Amino acid sequence: MWSLKKSVWVFHVNTGACNNCDIEIVDCLTPKFDIERLGIKLVGSPRHADALLVTGGVTAQAAPRLREVYRQTPKPCIVFAIGACACDKGIFTTGYHMVGPVDKIIKEVDPNAIIAYVPGCPPKPEAIISGVLKALAVL
Amino acid sequence: MNQQELNNKLSQIKAQLISIEQTADNRIYLSCEARNAYAVNKFLFEDVPLRFVIATGIDSDDCFEVIYHYAYDEIGCIINLKVFIRDRENPQLESIAPFLPAAEWIEREIHDLLGIDFKNHPNMRRLILADDWPQGVYPMRKEMDAKIARGWTCETSSRPAPESPARRTVPLGKPILPVGPFHPLQEEMEFFQLTTDGEIVTDIDMRISYNHRGIEKISESLQFDQVPYLVSRICGICSASHPTAYVNAVEEIAGVTPPDRARYVRTIICELERIHSHLLWVGLAGHFIGYDTVFMWAWKYREPVLDLLEEITGNRNNYGNVKVGGCREDIPDEIVPKMLKDLDEVEKKTEMLTKAVLDDPVLHARLKGVGTLSKEDAIRYAVTGPTARGSGIAIDVRRDDPYAAYADLDWNVIVQEQGDVFAKAVVRLLETLESVKMTKEAVQKLPKGPIAIEVKEIPPGEGCGHGEAPRGETFHYVRSDGGNRPIRHKVRAPSFVNVPSFRASCIGQHIADVTITLAAVDPCYSCTERLAVVDAHGNIVRDYEMLLQASRDKTAQMQKELGWPGLKLEDLQIG
Repeated sequence: MWSLKKSVWVFHVNTGACNNCDIEIVDCLTPKFDIERLGIKLVGSPRHADALLVTGGVTAQAAPRLREVYRQTPKPCIVFAIGACACDKGIFTTGYHMVGPVDKIIKEVDPNAIIAYVPGCPPKPEAIISGVLKALAVL
Repeated sequence: MNQQELNNKLSQIKAQLISIEQTADNRIYLSCEARNAYAVNKFLFEDVPLRFVIATGIDSDDCFEVIYHYAYDEIGCIINLKVFIRDRENPQLESIAPFLPAAEWIEREIHDLLGIDFKNHPNMRRLILADDWPQGVYPMRKEMDAKIARGWTCETSSRPAPESPARRTVPLGKPILPVGPFHPLQEEMEFFQLTTDGEIVTDIDMRISYNHRGIEKISESLQFDQVPYLVSRICGICSASHPTAYVNAVEEIAGVTPPDRARYVRTIICELERIHSHLLWVGLAGHFIGYDTVFMWAWKYREPVLDLLEEITGNRNNYGNVKVGGCREDIPDEIVPKMLKDLDEVEKKTEMLTKAVLDDPVLHARLKGVGTLSKEDAIRYAVTGPTARGSGIAIDVRRDDPYAAYADLDWNVIVQEQGDVFAKAVVRLLETLESVKMTKEAVQKLPKGPIAIEVKEIPPGEGCGHGEAPRGETFHYVRSDGGNRPIRHKVRAPSFVNVPSFRASCIGQHIADVTITLAAVDPCYSCTERLAVVDAHGNIVRDYEMLLQASRDKTAQMQKELGWPGLKLEDLQIG
């Protein structure tokens, strides 16, 4: 766990978000915020990931894919639910195609999963960075 | 053709119509029975000719209605054709997709959501609902309202899912290349299946549904004033355009005009949104062809724009600033000088980026003639926005059917004829500069006065609102029965018509060119997407990194051939 906390490799999963959280996540990589200076790196495969950044309230079509992505990550894996939708489906709560939120789907695969929540619509890049660092501090 | 000539033309098909009604200068409602729908649609598309916008399926009490929306851009007129399907037990309609490919997706969507059967449809597979959605359950039918309110979900349903796969099966032995489904920066998550022959793409198939949240249904449960907050979350980057189009529609029903200051504030927010969206696209396009410097710089330059938006509306995205009758937050006079100063800076940087792109021989070699969408295909697929303007179709809702304060400002519609990726890039870059110019003018002209008027009641009626989002025309149709909620709210986002045009632009391309061709209509790809090439036995032979590398290697190869030393920091002015 201590090595994981030094340099977290994250994989980004969109499960039916409006894009905003996703853009703010990518924004974290660009010069103004530059999370790579904190050792956090975005990777292209869940098999390389120490953490999942999950956005969106999980649609019926995305749910099986989210379970599969979580299964493919090496454990321990921290799941970050980024944004209001990922935390509790947000404004889309009453949608007929929504089966989330994220923690419900992840706990179906692994009841003991580590899940951290970053609320906001969308959370600012500062909030995402602060959320990730706070979660790492308590682990 | 002016309004009178258009009316004369429409009266040629009077015999097949039930009624012709003109509700405003530029809104016409036609209606006909289901048996005449095919002939009337064919006349409207081919003989008038009109641009297909979208179709709306409605469950009325005694029948199903399908409304085909068309636009006549020369005078900014929207023509709606209402078709009544009286047989509720076995609703059927003749498909118009054989002569109008733009209608293929929406007919599949209406089939999924309302259960209307389109005869002779070339490709009637599931589009918008999940693979395991139970068969025979149509969420937009009124009978589902009570069930959904009681907590019905597709997971608790006892009915089985259909056996037929939503994806097209490919003959054995043909290599396929699946792209997706996770693309973090897209409005709609999509899955592409490319069939390849060596390095050449021979067919492309798409599957959406991953991002289907049922917004049109949720909208029916919200009050008119709550809907803007919902529609601004359809797509994060278009979070000013969607609410603006929606309030245009509702204000049309209510017959109100927002105060002058509100019109200007709306314009400023929409244009700031366009600036940051186009810069975002330039960055991602650079990333795809191996110019990561462009990616980092373009994203750095859009930050001041987001800061301005935050200062005005309180949020970097999802502004929620538009409401029926005006705006929620005003632009404080004291930040005007700062806005002008920041915009000057953005203009300088964008000019520098534009020059860097237009003067770069490698980009010319890499993007010209790639992913060409011909003018004829652009019309058949009814594409909008920079995708259409890059193919020589001069349409822009801001000019054709002006809303907000666009009619008061001095600006140009940017059009390029070639239809390739380079043309679309040029359109976006030059448009960004136009937007900066427009925003500055609007800020300087900002009239005094209130920013909203009170709208107490929305009368019964129907309205169409559209607006030019960064990616193209966003269209909203709203119907009211005099209550406090819309009884039907249809949304057409620009990517819904732009994305299917991949069938015309991707086939025949090299695999290395596909990422940039797909990105050229701006469905927003990012580097974290999951993508792999699978051979006929399902083994992964190439992953996303390798494809990205192939795209970058092609650029590097061209640099070498052109004897070009590569991008040097000294070549760019650093401000």
